[in-house]
Amino acid sequence: MHLNLDPRAFLHPLWYYFWIAPHVLQALILYFMVRRKLHHQFPFFAVYIASEIVQFAVLYGLSHSRFHYGPVYLHSYVSFLGLSTAVRFAVIYEIVNHVLGRYPTVDEAGRHFFRFSTVLLLLLAVLLAVLMPRSQSEFILTATYSLDRAVSILQCGLLLSMFVFSRYFSLSWNSLDFGIAVGMGVFASVELATSAMWLHLGSFGNTAVNLLTMGTYHCCVLIWLFYVLKPEKVSAAVPKTLPDHDLEVWNQELQRMVRS
Amino acid sequence: MMIATFIFVIVGLLALLSVIVLASGQTTSATVLKNPVQHLRPVDIEAFRNLIAPSEEEFLRRHLQPAEFRKVQRQRLLAAAEYVTGAARNAAILLRFAEGARRSSNAATAETAEKLIAHALRLRLYALHVVPRLYFAAMLPGASFAPVLVAERYELIVRQVVMLGLQYPTQGISAML
Repeated sequence: MHLNLDPRAFLHPLWYYFWIAPHVLQALILYFMVRRKLHHQFPFFAVYIASEIVQFAVLYGLSHSRFHYGPVYLHSYVSFLGLSTAVRFAVIYEIVNHVLGRYPTVDEAGRHFFRFSTVLLLLLAVLLAVLMPRSQSEFILTATYSLDRAVSILQCGLLLSMFVFSRYFSLSWNSLDFGIAVGMGVFASVELATSAMWLHLGSFGNTAVNLLTMGTYHCCVLIWLFYVLKPEKVSAAVPKTLPDHDLEVWNQELQRMVRS
Repeated sequence: MMIATFIFVIVGLLALLSVIVLASGQTTSATVLKNPVQHLRPVDIEAFRNLIAPSEEEFLRRHLQPAEFRKVQRQRLLAAAEYVTGAARNAAILLRFAEGARRSSNAATAETAEKLIAHALRLRLYALHVVPRLYFAAMLPGASFAPVLVAERYELIVRQVVMLGLQYPTQGISAML
């Protein structure tokens, strides 16, 4: 994640830190994913991380070239944002597949629920895009941030639906699935708030909003790194006590089995 | 436009809060597993069967005044909804509990746990539409609804817990069901 903003002098170090550090951490995430062969299990997430690193390298290079933060940078930024958004949807789909795949009993119900949620959220996003007043600022950026807001509604809504669904059915998550979903959910919800603010604020306001978005993204990358490094529990919360022979209940059940 | 921006900011913050709360729910369930017996509520299946039995309903309909019957039937349906909620709640705890057994190296234990998970999920799925229907039936005078499958599914769950208890430490949870 990086933003098309020429940084103010006094915020230079923080701005550059938030721009560079998450991508260095993402390189670490990719390294550990490949080392632990997690990229086979999470191909879309690996692609997402790799694309974010490439995106950073290209945009950082452009900003320090003769193009600076000009139209070439802006168009590259918007194109990469589109790619990043598409891959994030694929990552959400990957998480949904992993969680539901472990529970065939609710797999179909879960997929119906997500299809329904997607349609509902899509309608809401389109409705809001149509009803929201338009800003007079630069078209490409206004369109980008409006689209970004619609995407945030969808991604945030889908991840929340996933959490609600798995909470109701007490579904257990693989630790990396959980970490990715939390990171994505936090980022999508903050982006939902900031994309609306962006269109409204002046240059300094945008610097602050951009720093908030970049800082949040940094936290999300840290969450992902933590869960990539965290070993998967082989057997979570397995009671250590010896079997408790509930003879009375067994007896009742046996009687019932014999009767039926 | 200012109001719309403000609404989006609030919605974004609420979404962030929801993500944090729902995600933390994933970890708090681990505390339930440490002492599942404390969180389980006993469900009297025979009493539940009696509550939803059409013959009982018919008997009450014949022997009570219409107004009184509606009042009693409403209370019976609300009580039935409470039973289903309690059974679904127990199923959720057992689901978490069976997750540990599902990862067992013993194939028989893992298979029993898998069956328990499937039955518990079916019960929760069924409860999802049974509870609103029971409340709806309670609101409509004279309406009846007998979710007999709940009792059968709950009994299947209890049976699976007992079976699991033969192979895996169940901390006496079958006695609490």
